Amino acid sequence: MRGRRALEWAFALLAGGALGVSLVVLIVLIAITALQAGPITSMRSTAQAGISLSLRSMDVPGTRDSLAYASIAQVESGSPAAGLGMSRGDALIEVAGVAVDRPSRAWDAVGEAAGGQEVNLSVVWIPRSEITLGTLRAASTGGEPCVLLTSPSVAAQAAGLRAGDALVAAAGIPITGTRQAWEALVVAARTQGTPIELTLDREGERQVVLWDPSVQAELRFVRDPVRAWWTFLTSLNEPRYPERAGLLPAFVGSVYVVLVMAVVAFPLGIAGAVYLEEYAPTNVLTRIIEVLVANLAGTPSAVVGIIGLEVFARALGAGRSVLAGGLTLSILILPMLIVAAREALRSVPQTLRDAALAVGATRWETVRHHVLPYALPGILTGTILSFSRALGEAAPLLLLGAFLFVTYVPQGLRDSFTVVPLQIFEWATRPQDGFAAVAAAAIVILVALLLVLNAVAIVLRNRFQRRWSG
Amino acid sequence: MGLTAAGLLAVVLTFTIIALFIQGSIPFLQTVPLGEFLRGTRWAPLHEPSSYGVLPLVGATAVTTGIALAVAVPMGLLSAVFLSAYAPNPVRRMLKPVLELLAGVPTVVYGFFALRFVTPLLQRAFPVLGFWNGLSAGLVMGIMIVPYMASLSEDVLYAVPRSLWEGACALGATRFETVTRVVIPAALSGIGAAFILAMTRAVGETMIVALAAGRTPTWPPDPTQPLLTLTTAIVNIATGDHEATAFIWAAVFAIGLLLFLTTLFLNTISYLIIQRFREKYA
Repeated sequence: MRGRRALEWAFALLAGGALGVSLVVLIVLIAITALQAGPITSMRSTAQAGISLSLRSMDVPGTRDSLAYASIAQVESGSPAAGLGMSRGDALIEVAGVAVDRPSRAWDAVGEAAGGQEVNLSVVWIPRSEITLGTLRAASTGGEPCVLLTSPSVAAQAAGLRAGDALVAAAGIPITGTRQAWEALVVAARTQGTPIELTLDREGERQVVLWDPSVQAELRFVRDPVRAWWTFLTSLNEPRYPERAGLLPAFVGSVYVVLVMAVVAFPLGIAGAVYLEEYAPTNVLTRIIEVLVANLAGTPSAVVGIIGLEVFARALGAGRSVLAGGLTLSILILPMLIVAAREALRSVPQTLRDAALAVGATRWETVRHHVLPYALPGILTGTILSFSRALGEAAPLLLLGAFLFVTYVPQGLRDSFTVVPLQIFEWATRPQDGFAAVAAAAIVILVALLLVLNAVAIVLRNRFQRRWSG
Repeated sequence: MGLTAAGLLAVVLTFTIIALFIQGSIPFLQTVPLGEFLRGTRWAPLHEPSSYGVLPLVGATAVTTGIALAVAVPMGLLSAVFLSAYAPNPVRRMLKPVLELLAGVPTVVYGFFALRFVTPLLQRAFPVLGFWNGLSAGLVMGIMIVPYMASLSEDVLYAVPRSLWEGACALGATRFETVTRVVIPAALSGIGAAFILAMTRAVGETMIVALAAGRTPTWPPDPTQPLLTLTTAIVNIATGDHEATAFIWAAVFAIGLLLFLTTLFLNTISYLIIQRFREKYA
């Protein structure tokens, strides 16, 4: 008796545990993803300040090591950063007192710095070679390669450098070529701090000059999560820089494709369901149709994608367009729609049909005026669920060759497009800093949208079910 | 008339698909003998000399599907048992929609989980694990299928007549005994159908494996290393920017046909099981 009770409890725990663990794992995964999207706020605020960063690396002269650094890949004209004199090619080395070795470090520093929504943070950067050093020419001194400063920049002049100086080493790092001169400065500043002991050869004499080639200034950052997410959702996509990534083309693409799908699949699905449920004779053909519909509903979406590619994109000449995408998704959801609509029609009480027919209505009048209105909530629920499935579907459109790099908003049926799940796929495959956060942000938006849609559908269905049972 | 046409659409669609795939596969099978395609262990369509053995892809799909089912079937089934036998009614009514909501999360999202969290986590435990691997893709696919499997099995268990539950209880059986000796045997065919449907999902799953399992055809398949499943092989070729007339497209049709026939077979079995099951208890 005791053993039976223990078994009973153990089993209850096991079963409850399985459900609990599954739910917790799923919810934790979604929560972690939402957290991964966190950097988007500070990424957007650096973009707002005018700079886009990318990860570069340089060889440390004299060693086999390489040093990663955050390169300022783009400066928007007219932005605060441009006002400070930052330009494309500069190396960002410090933000808010935090040493920056890669773009994500800079974004984290902006995000973590104390202060309110708007903060002035000190940024330290080493401007690109022409601005820091001036014009250089490869040369040699005493058999060793070095570079000759042919026309020093303003900054170099201020540090006491003159035209004709040969630069030999920076903080002990040998300068072996024109490109290496600036890199040696960056490496020295990053690894040993400023000012840098610059060894130079002036008229045959070795001299050491102490020089800080970096520039420090206050840059204003606006850290506004609401604005960051809003601009992410409503801006065009800049595929190179994650801080300027935008979801608008994919979002509009998704809406267009689903609209095309709705126009095609909804009437066909309802008609098919009405035929099967209200008109079809019970015979072998009907059985076969049922099996085939069930089968189509279980056909892998990749296979559906091949059909879309072959029939719509190639044979019908629609190309990789919104039209082809919408038609492909129609094939995907049509069986689901038929199954759902049939369930709804089946739940309409038979007495209703009998009553309508008894007072002289035709088959069609019965369906049109009594059965369909009654079944409508159920049909709508099935429709919403299958549409939300289509919104999250990436595989068939990936096969169709929907472009992964669409940066503009599709204008019409013949335009190429991308959709949100495909855009997530594209971002998720990018190894560079920041794209994971952007993918996570897009996931948050997509999942939130689908959860709302599905919740509406489920609530609708539950109310509807209660009406019948009550 | 129009309605009949709409009803027949499913028939037309299915036969179009089959015709299309057979027609597309003919040039492939004229060049590559069927035996070589089905028994070959080297998939190298773009190498010289090219080789079209599909076994590495089938093996990879079997590995990811097997791992996924090993997670999804016990977890899903136990969850369903908990919901139908133990959970108080309000809890059941609350959790069922939650399961349905989770089943609606797009697969590309699960692919992101697998690539960004599950693989790094598993790599800490097993350092031999590749950046892309079948294990993490399979596990996440299993997690993804749990709500689906739970929802399907719960429907099946719920359909077992109340009289069977009550009869067992009246004879003094505990819930554990009722479930394992009466309800599950009675629902076995339905559970089998749910199992097959879960398997169909795993076989046809594309985005998780495309993101997390890699693109390397290997034989024999090793779950700790990158794999190329049937679905990713299709994705690989379709996104590879080949000319529309290239021979490699024929391989897409051959793989597509194989996938379609597999799922057609599985779906038909599960449909037939469900039909029989319905007649028995309804």
